[in-house]
Amino acid sequence: MPKRILFDTDPGIDDACAILLALASPELSVEGLSIVHGNCSLDQATTNALSVLELANTSHLPVAKGCELPLVQPSLLAPETHGDTGLGYAELPSPQSKPIVQHAIDFLIEKILAAPGDITLLAIGPLTNIALAIRQEPRVVHALKEIIIMGGAIRYKGNTTALAEFNTYVDPHAAHIVYHAGIPTTLVPLDVTYQCVLTQDDVRRLQQVDSPITKFVADATRFYMEFHDEFQKIDGCVINDPLALALAFAPELCTYQELPVDVDLSGGISMGKTIADFYNYGKKPANMKVALSVRARDFIDLFVERIQSLARHPKL
Amino acid sequence: MTKRIIIDTDPGVDDALAFLLALASPEIQLEALTTTQGNVTLEKATWNALAVLELARASHIPVARGSLLPLVQPLRASAFVHGESGIGNSTLPPPQAKPVLGHAVDYLIKRVLAEPEEISVFPIGPLTNIAMAIRKEPRFASAVKELVIMGGAILEHGNITPQAEFNIYVDPHAAHIVFHSGIPITLIPLDVTHKCVLKQEHIDRLIQVHSPVSRFIRDAVDVYLDASIQLGYEGSSLHDPLTLATILKPELLTLKEYYVDVDISGGVSMGKTFADIPNVLKKPANMKVAMDVRGEEFVELFLQRMEDLSRRIPG
Repeated sequence: MPKRILFDTDPGIDDACAILLALASPELSVEGLSIVHGNCSLDQATTNALSVLELANTSHLPVAKGCELPLVQPSLLAPETHGDTGLGYAELPSPQSKPIVQHAIDFLIEKILAAPGDITLLAIGPLTNIALAIRQEPRVVHALKEIIIMGGAIRYKGNTTALAEFNTYVDPHAAHIVYHAGIPTTLVPLDVTYQCVLTQDDVRRLQQVDSPITKFVADATRFYMEFHDEFQKIDGCVINDPLALALAFAPELCTYQELPVDVDLSGGISMGKTIADFYNYGKKPANMKVALSVRARDFIDLFVERIQSLARHPKL
Repeated sequence: MTKRIIIDTDPGVDDALAFLLALASPEIQLEALTTTQGNVTLEKATWNALAVLELARASHIPVARGSLLPLVQPLRASAFVHGESGIGNSTLPPPQAKPVLGHAVDYLIKRVLAEPEEISVFPIGPLTNIAMAIRKEPRFASAVKELVIMGGAILEHGNITPQAEFNIYVDPHAAHIVFHSGIPITLIPLDVTHKCVLKQEHIDRLIQVHSPVSRFIRDAVDVYLDASIQLGYEGSSLHDPLTLATILKPELLTLKEYYVDVDISGGVSMGKTFADIPNVLKKPANMKVAMDVRGEEFVELFLQRMEDLSRRIPG
């Protein structure tokens, strides 16, 4: 039985790569996407999600629009990282399909409650939709099988402030709600995602298969590579979100530690910083499993092979 | 023209007094109650809302259940002030009516969007439901006519921490969302509610009218009055009913336009509302704040309306 997953996502170059990796993975059954502000505006993210699903011939999957603003913080988007359209240099045709009428919060609640203990939620954007779903319908906490969150930087430096990672920084209050909700949680922080560098060689290898899918990944990540080179002196690019997705079916790619993790909401220079209490000074039980090391090359190879395979055998 | 309002509430003794005042007032059409945790848990708040409406023969008014928890802060409730049940020592029969299906957040969105700029919302508990409605449906902010909020303490001291007022302190993040939403807001803070004091002599006068309503008020206020006197006040403040003065007798209130914010940084001022009175921040005002009130006149108005309602429901 494939694992049933829902994405909560703000596509976003690496979000798009994660969605494609999921569609390429027979271990998973993608049940739908809920969309949130983040890498780009809600409207742009929704268009991108629909376009990526059409690219992979999977436009039957429901896409639900969610929140356009963080709970408390002012809006923060990332055009310098993801380009003006959110998908780098990739140009996809305007989607024919439309989002469903239901709000993402209601979509998540309905899907999760309809399959208690079955749904894995892949949270790869700011956590606004999920936080509000938890507050509107507390039963989702126990009905979810697990949540895998791409977010945070534990021992690693931040990618948005000196200390804070983007998804968490954009809506730290939502992160606080989700972290303390009691859902079985795996956190996939920059500590592991920044070990996974997609190089130009990897992209050339991917393009050995000639297809709109491989062309899309190459065009999207080329923008990402220029960004990472200019701002972070990384040769290649880090693709954060696909690693989180891969852990849904290949958890052995990472090693984990169970830790009490919190997020700073106090509004100073650590705002949005995720903090793990390694020595348990706070005497609190662990609230999540944190990925702290990764077999980076194995993951990148898996990503390249799976996307090649999706490109060779597009869904009909 | 009667004013159409939805009260968002956590009843709560003074909340119950606010519904009764609304029901007693021909100037007001009470469209619905939406409930939230606050003075009591969501369960008790919803039960109390239904029970008080039945007491006033108004169980046709819909009640929608809302938020079980504040957005970010941990849950707290105040049995000391409102009694275990939330409505003092009163013993109302279990309500026959049930809350409507669906969440208060969706109910608020549906009602407000169905008739843009027609419905005013009176939040008299923590602002969780309103904040969630704003974030879930951005059109809510332009469709709601106005908010009249009981909350905050501007120059007055707090009532839950030295600085912070209860409703705002319970969910300061929600207050932050609401204050900066762009909705026209009138704030009724402790600065004015502390000047509207219900005393034992008022209860003694009201109880002359024989009615389940007057007896309910006596029993509900009992614990609240004791707690208030223990805390050094002359009687219990009519916090939530005072919001309705904006409709019934606006001339009683002195309103000032200020830029108001709430501290969410987690220190000793957590949940404190502050107004930029000298406008040093050069930010545009985001609300009208009641800074003074002719308190005794409001208490008299309240008592007269409660006597009228009690006469209408004799027994």
